[in-house]
Amino acid sequence: MNSGDLVLHDSELSRLKSILGKTQRAVTAELVLLIERSGQMLCSEGPAEVDLTALASLAAANIAATDGLARIVGEGEFSVVSHQGKNRNILITAVTSRFCLVVVYGGATAAGVVRLRVKHAAAYMEQILRHLARGLRNGSEDAGERTLDFTDDEIDRLLESRSSDSDGGKGVPS
Amino acid sequence: MTFINYVAREINCKIVYYGPGLGGKTTNLQYVYDITNADNKGKMISLATETERTLFFDFLPLDLGEIRGFKTRFHLYTVPGQVFYDASRKLILKGVDGVVFVADSQAERVDANIESLQNLKDNLKEQGFDLAKIPYALQLNKRDLPEVMSVPELTKLLQVKGEPTFEAVAPRGVGVLDTLKAVARQVLVELRRSA
Repeated sequence: MNSGDLVLHDSELSRLKSILGKTQRAVTAELVLLIERSGQMLCSEGPAEVDLTALASLAAANIAATDGLARIVGEGEFSVVSHQGKNRNILITAVTSRFCLVVVYGGATAAGVVRLRVKHAAAYMEQILRHLARGLRNGSEDAGERTLDFTDDEIDRLLESRSSDSDGGKGVPS
Repeated sequence: MTFINYVAREINCKIVYYGPGLGGKTTNLQYVYDITNADNKGKMISLATETERTLFFDFLPLDLGEIRGFKTRFHLYTVPGQVFYDASRKLILKGVDGVVFVADSQAERVDANIESLQNLKDNLKEQGFDLAKIPYALQLNKRDLPEVMSVPELTKLLQVKGEPTFEAVAPRGVGVLDTLKAVARQVLVELRRSA
């Protein structure tokens, strides 16, 4: 894999989801997500009807913009971003330099309690996520990754299955 | 950063549409959104100004289908093209897997194209990427307008590595899918190569 790629297997996912679930119950959160800073969601606990893909993308953008602000004012980072609303609040916390935890919770839960629980969860997750990164660097990926050895025909079929082969754009010789 | 989830059998990739302001990046995404059926797309998010200029980014999650039992999900982003939003552009390139450069074919926009392309190279470098190595496609948009530069002139100015290049009229969808497929293909080939 490329060094920046992220591969998630069942064992890590179960452990991460378990931590998310405990955090969700401890703070009676509506939703807890683990996201990567590029905007990808790794896993979540909470109702499926929420648009998690969009939420992950916007949360990542939010923390990226906050990092930008921190640098401009001479701060290394603002590791926590908090939004307070009338009925719902959002807390975004950096877990490692690459991952963030997003918690959506109601007004009945004290913000301090959420921060404390999230801090504990982040500490547990950090170990798993660092282990995951080490495993990748050491080349200890699952043999299943050979399944990514797509043929050209398979790629062609995938791209052509979605719609017509061409939309009339003229290709330009390289 | 490609994210491969073996549990959900999903491959998630990030493609960024780059280019000068008013070049048609958002229109590319809007067209893809409009023609894709509801099962294969998520909500399109546009963080724009009151005058519909992109302020931070547009975002469209798109399912291209399955390959070897893996769902392929492409997250399409645009950057704000206006020069003074450079800080935002850098953030959006974080973890990118492939880039589409949407050039404005009008002669009066030639300097804006060149400046934006140089900005792309610089910002990719800052994020640890090299334009010479990353999956990349060039789109020559607005081919229906008067006063456009010829295709050979534009390619001579803007092609950087013999990348797939397409003429396009984004509001009508001409060239939009071909461009997207060209960069998606390279992303999958890169994933295969690095597996």
